[in-house]
Amino acid sequence: MYNKNVRGELILGNKSYGDITRDILRSQEEKAPMWWWIAFAVFFVLMSIGLGYFVPLTISKGIGMWGNNNQVPWGWAIINFVWWIGIGHAGTAFSIFLLVFRQKWRTSINRAAEAMTVFAVLAAGLFPAIHVGRPWDEIFIFPYGPNSRGLWVNFNSPLLWDVFAILTYLTTSAIFWYIGMLPDFATVRDRSKGMKRKIFNALSFGWVGSMDKWRKFEDTLVILGGLAMPLVIAVHSIVSTDFSAGILPGWHETIFPPFFVVGAIFSGFSMVVTLMVIIRKAFKLQDYVTDDHFDAIARIITFVSLIMGSAYLIELFIAWYSGNQYEAYVFDENYLQGHYALPYWLMLTFNAFIPQLFWFKKVRRNLKLVFLITIGVNIGMWLERYNIVVPPAAEDFLPANWFHYASTIVDKWVYLGTIGLFGVGVLLFIRFIPMMAMNELKQQAKRQTSLEPTEAEYITYKKIIDNE
Amino acid sequence: MSKLVAIYNDDKKLMDATEQLVSVKAPVEEIITPFVIEELLAKFHVKSNIPLLAFFYGVFGVTSVFAALYYTFVISYPLNIGGKPSFSLTFPVLMFIGTVLTTVLTTVITFFIQGKLYPGKKPEFEYPGINDDKMAVLIDKSKLTPQMETKLRAIFEATGAEKIDEV
Repeated sequence: MYNKNVRGELILGNKSYGDITRDILRSQEEKAPMWWWIAFAVFFVLMSIGLGYFVPLTISKGIGMWGNNNQVPWGWAIINFVWWIGIGHAGTAFSIFLLVFRQKWRTSINRAAEAMTVFAVLAAGLFPAIHVGRPWDEIFIFPYGPNSRGLWVNFNSPLLWDVFAILTYLTTSAIFWYIGMLPDFATVRDRSKGMKRKIFNALSFGWVGSMDKWRKFEDTLVILGGLAMPLVIAVHSIVSTDFSAGILPGWHETIFPPFFVVGAIFSGFSMVVTLMVIIRKAFKLQDYVTDDHFDAIARIITFVSLIMGSAYLIELFIAWYSGNQYEAYVFDENYLQGHYALPYWLMLTFNAFIPQLFWFKKVRRNLKLVFLITIGVNIGMWLERYNIVVPPAAEDFLPANWFHYASTIVDKWVYLGTIGLFGVGVLLFIRFIPMMAMNELKQQAKRQTSLEPTEAEYITYKKIIDNE
Repeated sequence: MSKLVAIYNDDKKLMDATEQLVSVKAPVEEIITPFVIEELLAKFHVKSNIPLLAFFYGVFGVTSVFAALYYTFVISYPLNIGGKPSFSLTFPVLMFIGTVLTTVLTTVITFFIQGKLYPGKKPEFEYPGINDDKMAVLIDKSKLTPQMETKLRAIFEATGAEKIDEV
């Protein structure tokens, strides 16, 4: 087996197994710092106003409270839905792709990425749920039977595939996340007393790391990972089919499924970096999330950014090459120089141009720049969804129908509410759940030590070097 | 059932000990570690049938979802949508998603049943630090002859066990 330490040390500071436990559990065993309370208060207020007031307002008064109109029936709700689902691919892209490809550097980051997935998919799921206008009728989406109408749902519709795909993705991600945490819950259980011990005893399912359990644990995780990997591709391809099955110019494109999947990984990775920079700084976890980790992620982001840039160019090329005047109008008159030029060029700048700075090692190693660039990517990816959803619908085949879109305060607050939900979720996660997979970090620490040269090897290497 | 327990704080020492335990054919009941040690699982040929079962769950998932789709969309209520055939190429999308969901749920249930894991279960073995940085070798004393026990205690001591205990 190929067993060379090509990435250098992934855990710095010569940590013992006990050190790893103490370092990772410090965030829950010590008192919450002031910044945590402030951040929690801010996100909680956003969540309460957004989801506690503006979502009920939308449901009680109707979708007319939003900026949607007859011409642009999908507005911020679908933009936000696709954006959150994209971020939700972080966990799978990070954790599962890298698990299946045996990339050991995932260990410090996978748990947080999986947590982000669960909260982001929850935030995403809210939008279609309230966009139907009458959420109490959502039972009709499911193929329950026999029903009073003798009618089944339309299995040919991508919108229905979406329901199943996203619910399956949420279930699989949540289960994958939870199973991976069982051994760490047992560690917390053993270190706790009173009510906390009872809670973690229930959460750990009586876990003890016997050989048989470890074998089953490993096999189960790899199977779940192997199943979830194509699911990521399926989920976002299906989301893209919601658009490309439509006949609107700017939507009716065969490039959409791979374009959406890559875009999701792009925004997911960027959100992971944004949050890991904050977590690393806040909890002084430089020994676990090293500069090498950010370097590796920045390289992936550069590569994905090139794919995104190529996709934008291909869209432009096909708009010209197809000879379809409606398609050409969307790209030339709407995007490049028209009414929607600003979001389009900003999108190109954030997604295709600025990430190219990662070609320079100095930029990849400068965490402030890495942080800013990844925030830029998340803004760019939101704008990309805006460009897909709004302009083609606002100006379609008949100029007499054209009508522009402007979001309302309700749109904005519902979006802020989901940001609050995500923030509250992530903050509770880092406070109450081991934010890194301790058992995997210990395995990595063991691997690192076993790769260190033995005394005999050291003497041989020294002899070779001396002779040279 | 009383057990002879050796506690280690270093996986290298533990591996040295297991090497010798295997060579003397000691009746090792269990080795508990805070993280997975692949070499250990390989040494004791620990295997699980979860991958095989997952394959069969997948086969069950794909056939049952296909049957459900065929029944609802072709037999029970064939909808005419733009003249397209009811038995269409869109089936594989939902068959794939349904198969994943079925396999994930059944595999996880199998994991919990086989591992005898459930909420609130009392851990089968407790020792300070056993899920942190300590490792334990458990040997069923009822299967030991006095000579064998002496031999094993000597192995544990020679390989640097932190503590040798009986529970």
